[in-house]
Amino acid sequence: MTRLDAMRALVRLVDDEALVSNLGKNTYDLYIAGDRPRNFYTWGAMGTVSSVGLGLALARPDLRVVVLDGDGSLLMNLGSLATIASQRPKNLVHIVLDTRTYETTGGQPTPTAGVTNLAAIGRGAGLTNVEEAATLQQFESAARRSLSEPGPWLLVAAVEGTTTTAKVPRRPIANKYRFMEAIGSGSL
Amino acid sequence: MRRGGEAVQTNDWSSTLAEAILANGYSTVAYVPDEVADAVVQLLHRNGSMTMVSVTREEEGMAVVAGAFLGGKRGVLVCQGSGIGNSVNALCGLAIGYQIPFLMVISERGRLGEFNPVQTPLGRALPKIFDALGLQAFWLDDAGRIGDVVEGATKLAFSSSLPVAIVLPTTLTGGKTFR
Repeated sequence: MTRLDAMRALVRLVDDEALVSNLGKNTYDLYIAGDRPRNFYTWGAMGTVSSVGLGLALARPDLRVVVLDGDGSLLMNLGSLATIASQRPKNLVHIVLDTRTYETTGGQPTPTAGVTNLAAIGRGAGLTNVEEAATLQQFESAARRSLSEPGPWLLVAAVEGTTTTAKVPRRPIANKYRFMEAIGSGSL
Repeated sequence: MRRGGEAVQTNDWSSTLAEAILANGYSTVAYVPDEVADAVVQLLHRNGSMTMVSVTREEEGMAVVAGAFLGGKRGVLVCQGSGIGNSVNALCGLAIGYQIPFLMVISERGRLGEFNPVQTPLGRALPKIFDALGLQAFWLDDAGRIGDVVEGATKLAFSSSLPVAIVLPTTLTGGKTFR
């Protein structure tokens, strides 16, 4: 399963969920799999996407929030797993597309290429709904479950990276307004 | 976890600050536990209407309040000044880059009365960090102005679409005690 395969499968499964993607290849592949107003693409602040998703999920308990994280990024913010486990937002789905490499910086191995297991870290942080997927079928089945049953969910998918050549528009502020309008956030 | 049942040890400035946060429409508070701001955080907890998120580091808290903003809620980050040093990239790549406003309530370290030598470098740097980022920070010396400053900082944050900091100097709070 490539990351793009997983992303395409996920986009087919979602309806009005908010998708929040990690900087780099997750943002590229989500855009290619299906740009939609309820996508929020991050472009920087590496590591923080799981916490953005947590803040959004807590602010909007009526909205299911799906975070698309990377292994390198999550390793920068492992504390967020403890915070998510402590807060227990039922509407948060945290998907880690684990390529075992720092793809955007040239494919250097992350610790998950060696001895580190993010699902085990998630369980150790106190998360109880933790799934691992090695095939597209397993991913679709786990994603379907995480989109319909109470979370918080951590879904770690072992995927192959994809070389992305698409030109994804880098328009963070326009994306913010489009996203907030789509999910019905009033003006503050 | 909160120390349920115990009386909150408050003082004039902390209860006024908690009331001002409540009065200005905030509903999400991310915080890194801190002795100086503890009473403020406890009072907000006790209010019962706030989403309280104890985070493991400050940049995580910034992302939580940024996410709350995307969801239509006003957020406050409560932390020590040293935590701003942890969070410069989150401020840049998320808050400033996307124009996401929130309030930062920062208890000062490394300034008047500091006892820990290694806290002093960031104490010296903090005003310059805000300056370099183009963010506005207000030092709250006078307990009598808490309401006005919180209201003004809130208007400024949400009109400029940027985070605004309120720094609590040791002359207001008495600072951290040596433990």
